[in-house]
Amino acid sequence: MRGEKQEDSAQIQGISPIWNWRTTFICAALLLLVGLLAISFGPIHLHFGEIIKTLLGMHGGLSGQDRTVLIDLRLPRALLAALVGAALATSGAVYQSVFRNPLADPYLLGAASGAGLGATIAITNAHGDVYSLLPIFSFIGGTLAVLTSFFISGKFFAEPQSLLLSGIAVGSFATAIQTYLQQRHSSSLRPVYSWILGELTVANWQIVTWSSIYILLSLGVLISISKQLDGLMLSDEESFSLGINPNRLRMIAVAAATLATATAVSASGLIGFVGIVVPHLVRGITHRVTNRNLLTVALAGAAFLVLADLGARTLLSPAELPIGVITAFVGAPFFLVVLRRRRTV
Amino acid sequence: MQKRSSVVLIAITAIGAALTPSISHAATTSPRRIISLSPSATEDLFAIGAGKQVVAVDNLSNYPANAPITKLDAFTPNVEAIAKYKPDLVVLQSSATKAVAVKAALEKLKIKVFFEVTPSDINGAYTEIQALGTATGKGVQATKVITAMKTAIAQAITSGKRSNPTAIFHEVDSTLYSATSKTFIGHVYSDFNTLNIADAADTADSFGYPQLTNEYLLKANPQVIFLGDEQKISQVASRAGWSRIEAVAKKQIFALPADIPSRWGPRLVDFYQFVAKSLMSIK
Repeated sequence: MRGEKQEDSAQIQGISPIWNWRTTFICAALLLLVGLLAISFGPIHLHFGEIIKTLLGMHGGLSGQDRTVLIDLRLPRALLAALVGAALATSGAVYQSVFRNPLADPYLLGAASGAGLGATIAITNAHGDVYSLLPIFSFIGGTLAVLTSFFISGKFFAEPQSLLLSGIAVGSFATAIQTYLQQRHSSSLRPVYSWILGELTVANWQIVTWSSIYILLSLGVLISISKQLDGLMLSDEESFSLGINPNRLRMIAVAAATLATATAVSASGLIGFVGIVVPHLVRGITHRVTNRNLLTVALAGAAFLVLADLGARTLLSPAELPIGVITAFVGAPFFLVVLRRRRTV
Repeated sequence: MQKRSSVVLIAITAIGAALTPSISHAATTSPRRIISLSPSATEDLFAIGAGKQVVAVDNLSNYPANAPITKLDAFTPNVEAIAKYKPDLVVLQSSATKAVAVKAALEKLKIKVFFEVTPSDINGAYTEIQALGTATGKGVQATKVITAMKTAIAQAITSGKRSNPTAIFHEVDSTLYSATSKTFIGHVYSDFNTLNIADAADTADSFGYPQLTNEYLLKANPQVIFLGDEQKISQVASRAGWSRIEAVAKKQIFALPADIPSRWGPRLVDFYQFVAKSLMSIK
């Protein structure tokens, strides 16, 4: 009750409270809701009551094949979508602050192109089971590309612009090699293409386990430094006067965001647009350009991707639509509406 | 956890109890609900008389006409959509997206998987037909199909074989990708004593499918062109500079029927017979 009153008075002054708990709560509820939706729908009809009973470990739950469908097919996939969504959205928000650039996305420093190159190398050179090597190669590729961008820019964060430019150059270079490899190995075109558009198909518990370790760790770091990240919106001199070491903070933030991004990319391919749309949507709703709502961004990103994945596997069922198509197709217009609204407010 | 393991235990006991009396029978029971996610395997299954056991085939399995075609996708298989048909055997291509993971997921659902590795020559195709026969309880019929194929193919080769090497070009697509003698397609042509112009353009990393250039083609000057990409003969003949190619000048361009060069099944006989007929008609 008191909180609402505070908020009202804050809105009269044109500013909202720094951390909008209500939005955070709504996002968490939304994530839970879409999560339930995601595990309830699929080609095989499962009784909703029995799904709930199975999840709560109660008697009368699913058994046999239906149980396997829920526990081993739908659940890990929904969880992976949530993890990847949270990772991309949060990294996007952090990159946008660090580079003071609203168009920055998690793939900015070459993480995507590097991972793409790694994946292509794995696909074109591997014999037998390509997909067991792919995550490792794309993870290494993504991380190496970002590190290269850092070393080339030299002065690290003395000038964010130079890092940004070297990221773009490294990215183009990696893409060029990737395209060349693809041309030379035309048989790899289809797997590489489907990887680039993002895929969460046949997620299993193994992938969920290892990706959750890195992603939750990075998100933990990012959320814990989120308060200081706001200081980066000021000039470096002002940040210093607030007791923040801007370069060290940027290093930590970019490292954590890159780890989360590289993990997300290696687990699910390149899923575009989440890292730009979700942070701006949350800012649009809360009317705050602040990093203190990173938790909200993470939850919203998770909910967004779980929902997108539900669409990816049901819209054209039994065929799968690449999830990247959905995130862009739904995300772009939605984003434009929010952008327009914000301009007129 | 305990609850879960007790559920599993009960399930295992129940399944065991259900199976025990018929266990000797079960070993020889052939699958009754097969899903084929490979157009070649679909053709194989119907040829060996296992067609009645097939409940669904992927969206590209357009032959034979009575195959139960569905929207199932062979390249990006959807495990749950497959499971919906309650199959007891699934033919899965090893080149499908995340094939190994899909196989594991299907096996978790207690569905047997026939893992189809694309054969590299005709013997591989025969091996696959025989293996499908064994897997579906149609071993004898499979052997018969193979024998008939071998006879028909030998006849086609005898009738169409060139006395002196003839330069040929097989067009995989309109950007001039071709297939060398190392590939399955190439083997068919080399059986007829032809000279595949793509062979000289092959490199270590083109895997038998090099992309040729217009100039290379003019220089190599093939006597016969086979179109594997459903292009129109008149359009191919009118490509810039192509009028100087012998095959074009002598109108020795042949458009292979759709799908024939990409199905490693019983219709290989059609492929051989088409090539034989084409080679017999040239000057």
